[in-house]
Amino acid sequence: MKKDVIKNERLKEEIHTYELENGLKIFYMPKKGYSKKYVIYATNYGSNDNKFKPIGEDSQIEVPAGIAHFLEHKMFEEPDGNVFNEFSKLGSYVNAYTNYNQTAYLFSCTENFYESLELLVKFVQNPYFTDENVKKEKGIIEQEISMYDDAPEWKVYSNVLSSMYKEHPVRIDIAGTVESIREIDKEVLYKCYKTFYSPTNMILFIVGDIDFEKSLRIITKHQKDSKESVNKIERSRVIEPNGIKESLVEDSLSVSTPLFNIGIKDSDVGYDGDKLIHKEICTNILLEMLFSSGSELYQKLYEEGLINNSFGAQYVGNLEYGYSIIGGESEKPKVVLEKILEYIKEISEKKLSVEDFNRIKKKFIGYHLMDLNSIEYIATNFVNYHFKNSSLLRYLEIIEKIDFSDVESRFEKYLNENNYALSIIYPK
Amino acid sequence: MNLKNFREKIGEGAYLNIIRTDKFKTNLISIYFIRPLSREEATLNALLPFVLRRGTNKYGTSLKIQRRLEEMYGANLSIGINKKGEKQVIRFTIEAVEENYVGANELLHQVIEMFNELINNPLLENEAFLKKYVEQEKENLRKKIKGRINDKRSYAVDRCIEEMCKNEDFGIHKYGYIEDLDQINEKSLYKHYKKLIETSHIEISAVGLIDENNFLTSIKQDFILKRGNIVDLKREEIGKELENKKIVNEKMEVSQGKLTLGYRINIPYENPLYNAFIVGNQILGGGPNSKLFLNVREKESLAYYVYAQTYKFKSIMLLAAGVEFQNYEKAVNIMKKQVEEVKAGKFNDEDIKKAKNSISNSIISLMDSNFSLSEFYLSQVLTKENRNIDEMLKQIKNVNKNEIVEAFQSLSLDTIYFLSNK
Repeated sequence: MKKDVIKNERLKEEIHTYELENGLKIFYMPKKGYSKKYVIYATNYGSNDNKFKPIGEDSQIEVPAGIAHFLEHKMFEEPDGNVFNEFSKLGSYVNAYTNYNQTAYLFSCTENFYESLELLVKFVQNPYFTDENVKKEKGIIEQEISMYDDAPEWKVYSNVLSSMYKEHPVRIDIAGTVESIREIDKEVLYKCYKTFYSPTNMILFIVGDIDFEKSLRIITKHQKDSKESVNKIERSRVIEPNGIKESLVEDSLSVSTPLFNIGIKDSDVGYDGDKLIHKEICTNILLEMLFSSGSELYQKLYEEGLINNSFGAQYVGNLEYGYSIIGGESEKPKVVLEKILEYIKEISEKKLSVEDFNRIKKKFIGYHLMDLNSIEYIATNFVNYHFKNSSLLRYLEIIEKIDFSDVESRFEKYLNENNYALSIIYPK
Repeated sequence: MNLKNFREKIGEGAYLNIIRTDKFKTNLISIYFIRPLSREEATLNALLPFVLRRGTNKYGTSLKIQRRLEEMYGANLSIGINKKGEKQVIRFTIEAVEENYVGANELLHQVIEMFNELINNPLLENEAFLKKYVEQEKENLRKKIKGRINDKRSYAVDRCIEEMCKNEDFGIHKYGYIEDLDQINEKSLYKHYKKLIETSHIEISAVGLIDENNFLTSIKQDFILKRGNIVDLKREEIGKELENKKIVNEKMEVSQGKLTLGYRINIPYENPLYNAFIVGNQILGGGPNSKLFLNVREKESLAYYVYAQTYKFKSIMLLAAGVEFQNYEKAVNIMKKQVEEVKAGKFNDEDIKKAKNSISNSIISLMDSNFSLSEFYLSQVLTKENRNIDEMLKQIKNVNKNEIVEAFQSLSLDTIYFLSNK
C-alpha cells in the first residue's frame, strides 16, 4: 500500500498517489478554490482489445466490434434502475466514453462529492447484463451509430484510419457496426468485463478541492472481493505491416464543402513511457512548425483559397501505432495534398528554421499552462498519460529537453516515407 | 462564492469589468461590441472581425499577427460572433499565460497593445480595407454560412428558430446571408467599421490575477476609444399572437431525422416566474433524468439524443431529438405529452430537487472557467439584472411546484420542424 506525493514547484501543483492491495491505483490532484470536482474511473480497455485470452480460459477469442463501447453503455444499468437517476438525485453530472484504448466513467459535481464517489466506485464494479437489457441497448446504439454516420468530421477521420491500417484494430470503428453489435450477448459481455475491469488494469483519478483521506476510506470500503486476480492480461499483439492499405478513400455526405483528412502513418512504434511522450511532443512541434496558421504553407494555401481556418494537424502516439492527421475543408483536397508533399520536399532541402522551433516551443509551454486551468483537461489527460506509462506533471520537464536537432531528425525519418493516405468527404 | 466585479465607465457606452482571481494560470481579456441584430447589419458584423484579423498597421499579415502571439507564449486570440436575443455580439478575446509562470513581465501590456492594433489600427489602403483581405474573408464567410448544414443537429435547431421568427429579428442568422455578401466591398465594409467602433456599446472584461488600477490605467492609455452616438439596444418582444401552428418538413440527404418543436414561453425573464420555468424546463428535458430522456429514449428507444432548451431573451423553448423517419409521429406525440405532463403537475418533489441541483451545479461551475465568468458578467449587463451568483442560486432554490405549473400554463406550441430524407 504505497502512498506518495509528487510535486511540481514550477506549476504549483502536486499529485497524491495511493495503491490498494488489489492493485487499483488512486491519484488525487488538489485544486484549491475550484468549485467543481471531477473524478474518472478508467480501465485500460478499448475498442482495440478485440482479441484476448479471457481470464480462466486457455485460448484467445475474438469478440464482435463495438463491444467495449456496448459494455460501457450497459454499465449504467442496475437491477433496481439506472445509475443516471442516482447521480441526478445528487445533482452530479455523470458520463462515460470509450475510445480505442480505454473506457472511462466519470462524474463531476459541486456538492455531494463523497456520495457521488461512492456511487461511482460501486456501479463500475457491478456489471448487470441480461438478455432483455442487451436487446434494448442495441436499438439505442444503432441510433448512435446512425448519428455518427451523419457526422462528416467523424466519417472523414474513421475512413482515413481504415485506409492506413491493414491489420491493426484501430481501423475499426469504436462503436462497431449495426451488424457487428447484433452478435453481442450477455455472456461475451461478462467475459470482457471479468478480464479487463480488474483493479490492476484500472485507475481512479480525482481532481478538485476535497479531503483525500475521506475519499480513500470510501474507495477502500467499497472494493469488491475478487477471487480471480488478473496480473497480466494476455492481449493479442498485432504486428501491423508497414505501408498503407489504400492511399485514397472517398465518400459523400450532406456537406457544403469537401472535408479531408491526410493520415501519415508512423512506423517508429513499439514503445511507450516518457520516450513516447517525447516523440509525441516533438512530432506535434514539427507539425505546428509546418502546418499551423503561423507557417508559410498555411498562409500560401489560405491565400490561394485552398484551405480555411479549420486546417490543422495533430499527431497521436500509442504503444503499437501512431499517426498524424492533417485535416480541413477544401474544394480541392487532392491539390492540397500535392502542395503539402511539394512543401515537405522543399523543406528537406531548405531545412527547418530554428527561430520557428523556439517560437513554437514557447507556444506549447503557454498552451500547456492554459490547459491546466481545466480540471476536465487535467483528469482526461492524466489518465491518458498514465496508460501510456508517463505522467502529465512531467510534460514541462519533457518538453524543456526537446531541442532543435530532435525535431530535425524526426522530420527526416517520419515525413519522408511513402506513408500517407488521403480521405475525402464530398458533398452529395 | 462572490467574485467581485470591478466595473468602471471608460467612455460613453463603454465599460471595463475586472474579475480578479488567482485561480487560473492565465489572464483572459475580452472586448465585446454589442449591436442590435438587424438584417441590414448582420452580415457586415459577421464579416468585419475576420477582416480585422488579416492585418494591422504594425503586423500587416495574419502570419505576422500569429507569430507575434506565439512569441507571447502562445497567447490565444479568438473571435466570436453571437446572438444574445436580438443583439449581435462581436467578441475579441486574448488569453495569455500569467506572467509569473514564465518570467515575462510585459505580457499583459503586450496583450492590450495587440488589441489596440487589431481593433483600432487595421491595415488600410486608400481609406478602405485591403480588397484582397475582404474578398477572401467574404469567401470564407460564404462557406461558413453554407456549412450550416454540416452539423445537422444544430441546423435543425437553427431552422426551427428561423421559421418560428420569420418576421422577427430573432430569426436572423448570426452569420448573416449569402445574398448580402455580393453587395459588400472594401469601402462599404470600412464605412461600417467606423460606425461599429464609434456607436457600439462596448464591454471590456478581464479575468485573472490583475491589478485593477494598473490595468485601468493601461487601458485608458493604450486602447483608443472613439465614441459617437451610441446605438440603442431594444428589449425583445416576447408575446406573440399565434394564428396557426406551423409544420415545416425540410428534405436533405440524412440518415437520421432531426426533429425540433418550438414553443413560446410567453413569460419575460424580468418576471420572477421565469426562474420557475427554468426549473420546469430542466424537469422536462434537461438531462438523463428528464421526462424527455426517460420516455423518448429509455422507454421507447426512439432517440439517442433528446432535450429541451430555453432562449432567455426571446422566451422561447425548443425540444430537439434525432429520430428515425418512420417514428416522426410517435416521437412528436410522446414529446408533446411530456410537456402536458409538466403542465398538469405530473412530477414530484424528487424531480424538482434533482432539477434544481443540476441547475445549481451548472451555475456554480461556471466560476471554474475564466471564459464563462467573462460571459456571465456580460449577460448580466445585457439583461440589466446585475445579479451576482449567490442571488441567482437563491432564486432557483426558492422555486416551488405551484410556480412551475403556473409558469408552464402560458406555453404555446408555435412550430414543428422536421429534417428528413429526400
